Amino acid sequence: MASAPAPTAPPTRWDQEVDLVCVGSGLGGISAAIAARDRGLSVLVLEKAPRLGGVSGFGGGEVFVPNNHKMRELGIADSDEAGRAYFQFLSAGFADPTLQATLLAHMKPAIEYMEKEAGVRWIAVEGLPDYYYADAPGSHPGGRYLSVDLFDGRSLGEWQARTYPMTPHVPPGALHREMYAWGGLACVTQWDYELIGQRLANDQRSFGPGLMGWFVKAAMVDRGIPALVSAPARSLVVDGGAVVGVRAEHEGRDLYVRARKGVVLAVGGYDWNRELARQYEAMPDWNSACPPYLHGDHLVMAGELGAAIAAVPPTDLALFYGYHIPGEESDGHPLYRSSWECGCPHALWVNRAGQRFCDESFYKDYQPRLRTWDGQRQTMPNLPPFLIFDQNYRDRYPLGSFMPGQPLPSELVVQADTPRELAEKLGIDPDGLERTLERFNEHARRGEDPDFGKGSRPWSVRLTGDHSYPNPCVGPVERPPFYGVRLVPVSVGINSHGLRTDEHARVLHVRGRPIPGLYAVGNSAALLDLGGGYQSGTSNMRAITWGWIAGRHAAGA
Amino acid sequence: MAEARYTTTTRVPPEQVWDFVQDMDRWAEFVMGYQTHEKRSETESVWTLKGDLGVMSRTLTFEVRITEWNGPSRVRFTLRGLNEPMSGEGAFTIEAVPPGSEGGPEGSAAPAPVPAAPRKAAPLRWLEALARRLLRWIGGRSERAAPPAAGAAASRLTFELRIDPGGPMAPMVNAMIKPLMLPAAEQLADRILARLEEGRAEGGASR
Repeated sequence: MASAPAPTAPPTRWDQEVDLVCVGSGLGGISAAIAARDRGLSVLVLEKAPRLGGVSGFGGGEVFVPNNHKMRELGIADSDEAGRAYFQFLSAGFADPTLQATLLAHMKPAIEYMEKEAGVRWIAVEGLPDYYYADAPGSHPGGRYLSVDLFDGRSLGEWQARTYPMTPHVPPGALHREMYAWGGLACVTQWDYELIGQRLANDQRSFGPGLMGWFVKAAMVDRGIPALVSAPARSLVVDGGAVVGVRAEHEGRDLYVRARKGVVLAVGGYDWNRELARQYEAMPDWNSACPPYLHGDHLVMAGELGAAIAAVPPTDLALFYGYHIPGEESDGHPLYRSSWECGCPHALWVNRAGQRFCDESFYKDYQPRLRTWDGQRQTMPNLPPFLIFDQNYRDRYPLGSFMPGQPLPSELVVQADTPRELAEKLGIDPDGLERTLERFNEHARRGEDPDFGKGSRPWSVRLTGDHSYPNPCVGPVERPPFYGVRLVPVSVGINSHGLRTDEHARVLHVRGRPIPGLYAVGNSAALLDLGGGYQSGTSNMRAITWGWIAGRHAAGA
Repeated sequence: MAEARYTTTTRVPPEQVWDFVQDMDRWAEFVMGYQTHEKRSETESVWTLKGDLGVMSRTLTFEVRITEWNGPSRVRFTLRGLNEPMSGEGAFTIEAVPPGSEGGPEGSAAPAPVPAAPRKAAPLRWLEALARRLLRWIGGRSERAAPPAAGAAASRLTFELRIDPGGPMAPMVNAMIKPLMLPAAEQLADRILARLEEGRAEGGASR
């Protein structure tokens, strides 16, 4: 890395001059670019990775918007009041009321703007409930999640090869509604792979890659907004206390870009900065399912200017547990997959004592329980969790991308003829595992889980349930051989700490005033608008909304 | 099913091509994504490759079994995925090319193409790349005709490969690997011939 004073003083000569620089090309950066360009600003997007799209282009592509216009078109009833009540429930008292009110007031206009002005083709995912439906205030049985219609990657021109055509985390080429119509993740062997293959051959994108396809096309192709990939921003250029540009690296040299109206930091979180993750997330281990470009650059660059860092409790965000399949890599780094196998029948989780501790089908339940602290022994008794399943599971469901019948890698999966032998191989208390399976199976044969309520959440049932079972998420673990996998944390880029921002997405100084010319959106901004809880699709929604707000504000709106 | 067939021509005599091809240790590293290989017998070997699908790569292990050994003209093999549900087959075919019977004008002294340093004019390279890309999409076949030198013995090397993914996701996997097949065949055959050409330029067969 080239060395330079940080923050950087204005150079004697700028390499480029624009009105707004968007650092990061996920939904936040691209939404800001579109909004600003449409208000007459010149914009440059700088992306650290060799492809545009950020984490948004690598994920599931859900956008959570209560009472959205696509629901109304389908005749699905909802209300803003119910949406507010649900977000208030999610926040658990940790949200900043002003930021949450701003988010909720602008999310629908932003989403509708992207359809009307940017051509994004939204589709409401019918029948997919809110996480906490039906007991949370304002929760809804289905329609609040938006996804996008298939996107033709060939329409991206020069950007086709420099965006994500698919994500390794979901079989590509399927729409959300198709995924659920085909039986969800438990029935992934029964998806229509002839149709998927045809779509892949024609670069028809879905999920996160499809979502970002629409946005990149709107920005780079339709509006001609320039972007540089493999161009990491290294420091902010400051003049008189205001941010006036960016020093980036591109093609082996410093690139000074003047930003007359401001700089938007939209670089995601810090999943791949192990030091920050260890300090901020308070977990003894840390891995990421995201592309390996999330280093907390926003915290460093804005921190140098005295920016305030804020946090929400890490307990209830979107930290999954999963595994790394030996030999799988993404961008030259080990690829980690979150485990949803535990939501299927014939599978459960135990801790080292061989005891269950959560509803394995609902990650919002297992996540805080994994953080349980034993103050008597100074340990986290539920770490690491172990996925345990039997041959009935193997005959029906995949493990990651390994289909039934396909040999499982012995480096990942331990196999044994009895639960006791399996426990001994995994380092679990054998007596504990035997007792746990005895009790679990006794109830599971009736489709019940009186201890933790596995399969009691409609969302879980929809996502990972096998509807041929009385309880789609529960089946006994009793048929040998038995299998076990030691699981590790797998973050999806939604971190607890971020830059503190105001209702215009401006970054705030530790003294509470906005830092002139500096914005932060998406996962670079602290999740104070959400507070203590998380619901899938809210990360994408707030990226679009705050990006739109920042771009308009920079343009004087 | 994903398949590719690639033919290329060289000034190197068939016996010399065969001499090189029959020893997998000499060209193993030219296989796209090559990691390791292990000979288990005269006819069986196990190969580990890194399959790159753009956004992710995955380690694949294949058992390769020789089914026809007919030097100096042909070797055929089958392959079976050990950690993925895949099967397939392939062949190297080596033919003698009479001087002046293929490619450029009779008596042309143009050298055989060496992929590492192509000597064609830029527009021609562009056209060739376009044609090969089209061929990839429509049939996974390509041919690079190189004129043998006047009066010189020459060879035509054809590499064929077919892979049949198995399991429920087979159509999806097929769509993913199809665009990779012809580049893989081209890379292997071109690098083999490039190595042979280097050996020839240095005054002897590459050993």
